[in-house]
Amino acid sequence: MKPLQKRLVPLLLLLCLTLTGCMDLLPPEHTSVSLEDVPAYAGEPYVAIDDNQPDFSEEDLTTESFESYSPLDSLGRCGAAYANVGVDLMPTEERGSIGQVQPSGWHTVKYDCVDGKYLYNRCHLIGYQLTGENANEENLITGTRYLNVDGMLPFENLVADYVQETANHVLYRVTPVFEGDNLLASGVQMEALSVEDGGEGICFNVYVYNVQPGVVIDYATGESALEDGATAGEGEAVTYILNTSSHKFHYPDCSGVANMSEANKETFTGSREELIAQGYEPCGQCNP
Amino acid sequence: MIPILCVDDSGGTMFNHRRQSQDRLLRQDVLAMVHGRRLWMNAYSLRQFQSQPEAPITVDEDFLAKAGPGELCFVEGLPLLPHMDRIEAVILYRWNRRYPADTYFDLPLSTYRLRETKDFPGSSHKTITKEIYTP
Repeated sequence: MKPLQKRLVPLLLLLCLTLTGCMDLLPPEHTSVSLEDVPAYAGEPYVAIDDNQPDFSEEDLTTESFESYSPLDSLGRCGAAYANVGVDLMPTEERGSIGQVQPSGWHTVKYDCVDGKYLYNRCHLIGYQLTGENANEENLITGTRYLNVDGMLPFENLVADYVQETANHVLYRVTPVFEGDNLLASGVQMEALSVEDGGEGICFNVYVYNVQPGVVIDYATGESALEDGATAGEGEAVTYILNTSSHKFHYPDCSGVANMSEANKETFTGSREELIAQGYEPCGQCNP
Repeated sequence: MIPILCVDDSGGTMFNHRRQSQDRLLRQDVLAMVHGRRLWMNAYSLRQFQSQPEAPITVDEDFLAKAGPGELCFVEGLPLLPHMDRIEAVILYRWNRRYPADTYFDLPLSTYRLRETKDFPGSSHKTITKEIYTP
């Protein structure tokens, strides 16, 4: 598509939506966090921003469920996904296939140092467990395994449990943050606020890093390479502490080990790949 | 004093001053242990037990200092280390899920002995693991 046409498409779409009265299907305009205000990744998958206070308008505090997704931009990139999550939006059946969607920056690439080997996942902006969206291209970005599992999933679990236990609603917005014309998001901003109790149950505003420890990523294209000096870990013998109950493995100095039941604790020396093949997952805190 | 706590896979208990999770069947399990003993908690925790108004709960913001021998304390986000010398047992519920955390369980469990463990399904958690430790 020629550059002029590329610029015209979103304008024409906006005009169509205005004329057909469909504006309320789009997420309200929202300015995401600026990357200049986000500290560099320092070993934790997420960081609180704006004192963990989300930026929702009072008029959105409704007890009616809704969900809305931004149209892809001229580079094929997702925008904010916004929902008022209630029990009625949650899925009642298993997730379907999403492999047919190719989000911007997508590459199928494997590294031994990545849990499950695949560097990239098709990451739901609003997790399947919250709104049951399957292969919606406006809700799927290219995200590292680390972003998906260590960064975003814990917040989705937090919200899902709360909604299921209380039958209350949670305003929930996930905004991918792209630098310039990069095809791969640098990270996502996740905001949530429980409605009926005014945020007593759920309240957060965090930035989650789209990084993968041990891998260098070119965010313009999604190309990647192993970090200098990093090994793929294959065959490398390291001592880990296993939790035989939760099936997590940790570095011996991880604080999670101190709190582990002795009955569930086992020492293992070998490669992390062997452990992952045995069904163990790396601890989200020490990221072995 | 016997503290009762809930932790996630990384030993976390709270995020942004709020509990990580809750479960109706876990609360039933807690209340089933009371057997005439006093169950202490603060006002924040009471709000998740309000659907059981008949429960013998004593509410006090300084309950960890006031709880006596054999009495149960439902603890959310409070440090236990300062009270370690008075702890007779610890009852730990593991969510077996990951949540964000900025407050963590602070007792060195390696110095305790695991006496009892059982798994049970929660109302919104596939499997909750209950563990009882003694010093």
